Amino acid sequence: MLTITETAKQKIQSVMESQGRPDDGLRLAIVGRRASSFQYSLGFVEEGQEAADDVIFDAGEFKVFMDANSVENLEGVTIDYVDDIQGSGFKIDNPNPIWSDPQHAAVQELFDTRINPNLASHGGHVELLDIKDDRVYVRLGGGCQGCGMVDVTLKHGITALIREEFPDIQEVIDTTDHAQGTNPYYQPAKG
Amino acid sequence: MPRLLLLLPTRTYRAHDFMEAAGRLGVDVVVGSERKQALADQVPGRTLALDFRHLQDATDAIVEFAKIYPLDAVLAVDDDTAVLGAVASEALALPHNPITSVTATRNKHRLRMILAQAGLLSPPFSLFSIDDDATAIADQVPYPCVVKPLCLSASRGVIRANTPDEFAVAFDRLSRLLRTPEVVARDDKLAEQILVEGYIPGTEVALEGLLVKGELTVLALFDKPDPLDGPFFEETLYITPSRLPESVQQDIAACTAQAARAIGLQEGPVHAELRVNDQGAWLIEMAARSIGGLCSRTLRFGTGLSLEELILLHATGADVGAYTRERHAAGVMMLPIPYGGILIGIRGQEAAKQVPGIEDLAITIPLGQEVVPLPEGAQYLGFLFARADTPEQVEIALRDAHRCLRFTIDPK
Repeated sequence: MLTITETAKQKIQSVMESQGRPDDGLRLAIVGRRASSFQYSLGFVEEGQEAADDVIFDAGEFKVFMDANSVENLEGVTIDYVDDIQGSGFKIDNPNPIWSDPQHAAVQELFDTRINPNLASHGGHVELLDIKDDRVYVRLGGGCQGCGMVDVTLKHGITALIREEFPDIQEVIDTTDHAQGTNPYYQPAKG
Repeated sequence: MPRLLLLLPTRTYRAHDFMEAAGRLGVDVVVGSERKQALADQVPGRTLALDFRHLQDATDAIVEFAKIYPLDAVLAVDDDTAVLGAVASEALALPHNPITSVTATRNKHRLRMILAQAGLLSPPFSLFSIDDDATAIADQVPYPCVVKPLCLSASRGVIRANTPDEFAVAFDRLSRLLRTPEVVARDDKLAEQILVEGYIPGTEVALEGLLVKGELTVLALFDKPDPLDGPFFEETLYITPSRLPESVQQDIAACTAQAARAIGLQEGPVHAELRVNDQGAWLIEMAARSIGGLCSRTLRFGTGLSLEELILLHATGADVGAYTRERHAAGVMMLPIPYGGILIGIRGQEAAKQVPGIEDLAITIPLGQEVVPLPEGAQYLGFLFARADTPEQVEIALRDAHRCLRFTIDPK
């Protein structure tokens, strides 16, 4: 189900050894979706410290612990390591559609084409996390995280656009931890 | 559904609470800000970019907007937009405070003159230019005295001086603040002058009120239990209900009502700061807006209405006379800034939130950013909120929670 190229394996083992963690495993999770691609979390985890419901893939030289909620969308993934003129790093090819559900895909399309290109002008972005019943769950980042005007962006921008195209949606729920924002676009101040 | 234009500067602390209130009430709110919102082009009619520095241009833009999207009210939430709120309302023939009255609240010298002429208790005061030689004018002011900018809010630039030497230092410090790029960028002539007034000893309180047809309803009276004797006036604790004797509270309310009449304010929220001593209640400041920062979160009315809901209801013509503040005591601590530098860590937040009576903690300066104490500082470090049966319990909760917090600030 998961393919790790030899180049990637060698790089992973090399990093593990350089960090003095040769017996660790690799943990892989999908943490978001943005601009028509999945966002991943890739890191080392000591065996026994993985999440209880992680799905284990034996890559031979090490184990890969896959987040249970991400497994469905990790089917067929190839992890490679590239080092060329454009830079170096792990490259993850994922053949799965960003969303299999048509409504999720349509909202994602709205985010990618009308919302995020404009939020980018303020260094911000919004991620679609899920749609359950008539509620859309989102997370804001970059300049939007902790921004003093984020409520205006959310209610008079994101929510208004979603409800314009999807009238059945009743609510957009912001799950962002705004207190952790480090570079909000607008910061409040005394007059 | 009524449509209301909310004048929200992009640097306001009040956006969240007003937007939440509008959502709960089902009021159709248009947001007017001095900068274009990121999604403005995608959602026409919901936000409006306005040049707050040029009243006529901004008013013209609002009038044009209202031709397409008719407005039922214009509400300014901060000092910076108070005058525009009145001017735009007049242009649209909507209920509003007289423009001259709102303008007076934005000019501490004019406010002082009005209050003195109306016979309210007033300290001696004089107006100087930021270009004046502080040493040369030091013998023209009473001691102790307080130097104040005419146009800044929340104790920014306010410094007490007990002697001519202290006065010269304070005056020059305030002059430098008023010449900083941030203040100069406001393009405000008031920033070229400094008010010096006699220091008023006594206990300080804050009154939150609502004017309806010129009649003041006191929504809350906050005690400020930490001494505010200077040299700087960093506000920390606000606790309501007041523990002052009933007769003193009545004096405070009467003084505020008299001041509002003298200024000519008629409608909407007012926030007043007063001092009380043996001579009576002295009005320090009055603003044609509600309480600043996040402090309004201490207040609940009727069955749980927020202050912002009450203000929006009033702005849309509803009768809000029946709403009174809840029975519980409540309070907020504006977290003091111990010294300037880069905020690199905060410990003890969970412990602070676990203190009985504490409702919330909000840190409002991101890690990695500069914190600047008064008199220059323009940002609150954060807010602690508490609610309990009595004001004493609220004060204990806030002080205990504050002791849990450890701020790491790199002075470099």
